[in-house]
Amino acid sequence: MIKEQTLIDNLKQTETQAKAFEVLVNTYKERLYWHIRRMVLNHNDADDVLQNTFIKVYRNIGNFKGESKLYSWMYRIATNESLSFLQLKSKKMGIDSVELQETLLNNLESDVYFEGDEIQLKLQKAIATLPKKQKLVFNMRYFDEMKYQKISEILETSVGALKASYHLATKKLEAYLKE
Amino acid sequence: MKAPNKNSGFKIPENYLENFNDALLDKIASEEESKLPNKEGFSVPEDYFNTLYKNITEKLDKTPTKVIALKFYKKYYYSAIAAALLLFIGLNLNKTETYSMDDLVNADIDAYLEYTNLDLSTYEIAEVIPLENLDLNDMLKITINEENILYYLESDIDDFNELNLDSNEY
Repeated sequence: MIKEQTLIDNLKQTETQAKAFEVLVNTYKERLYWHIRRMVLNHNDADDVLQNTFIKVYRNIGNFKGESKLYSWMYRIATNESLSFLQLKSKKMGIDSVELQETLLNNLESDVYFEGDEIQLKLQKAIATLPKKQKLVFNMRYFDEMKYQKISEILETSVGALKASYHLATKKLEAYLKE
Repeated sequence: MKAPNKNSGFKIPENYLENFNDALLDKIASEEESKLPNKEGFSVPEDYFNTLYKNITEKLDKTPTKVIALKFYKKYYYSAIAAALLLFIGLNLNKTETYSMDDLVNADIDAYLEYTNLDLSTYEIAEVIPLENLDLNDMLKITINEENILYYLESDIDDFNELNLDSNEY
């Protein structure tokens, strides 16, 4: 696998940019897709946000100073893009974020790209009740199986705080599923 | 209080107590996980990931390269649109009532900006901004001092032409 620094250098040089961008997309597309999909829930929306994320990465790679790792920078862009997308969507629909979550979950039931059973749907409904940060931490840890250290780099939060968030999230989800 | 018996022969692994909290939270979390379903049920269209790169490059070609955040100009958009709307109202309904800026609810102007494709260039925006007595800090919520601006220009702007922005880009 190509070294991160080489990839960044290649992305910044006009001659190697196109090839490096292809490598970047192919390396991170699935991970970022699932990260985004868990936030926006719908495939078409996830596709839009993912494409915009990569376009932003491509356009702004020149400003990437290497103070954080490339993947954590990209995850941060993907997270921000997803949250902005949801905000804009609720604004356009004239509803607040709680109503938007309800709408997204209702649509999930008829979504051809959701094959979950009743319990999986209930889990999504439970996740939707979590505060933004807990939701992110839970998805990254539970579904992505990402290490706390990595989550900590992306969300710029201490490992201890992440563990506490995750613990609270699982407690709430468990209680919701028992209802 | 009696001091602990240091010669009992018991030992604990190095950093055991320091790491105890983390280890405990990990254990609790792993027990909790088993009570939740381990699959989420989402799927993607066939070949989605195989065609993604092509779709992104196509979109990349279609989208402009840079966009300037409109935040700084928003205030002036409001004024320009409010003025235009007031003029319109004044021309059409004049002589009966007097309208003021307060008659325009910010939310209405927001909605107008949100749903209308204004597509104004930087130059068009510049035309409606009154430049007399205007200071950069009038447009910003935070105050930027001259020293910081000079530092930014010195360290971040390689090409002076970059400053001559002519489209809505970020």
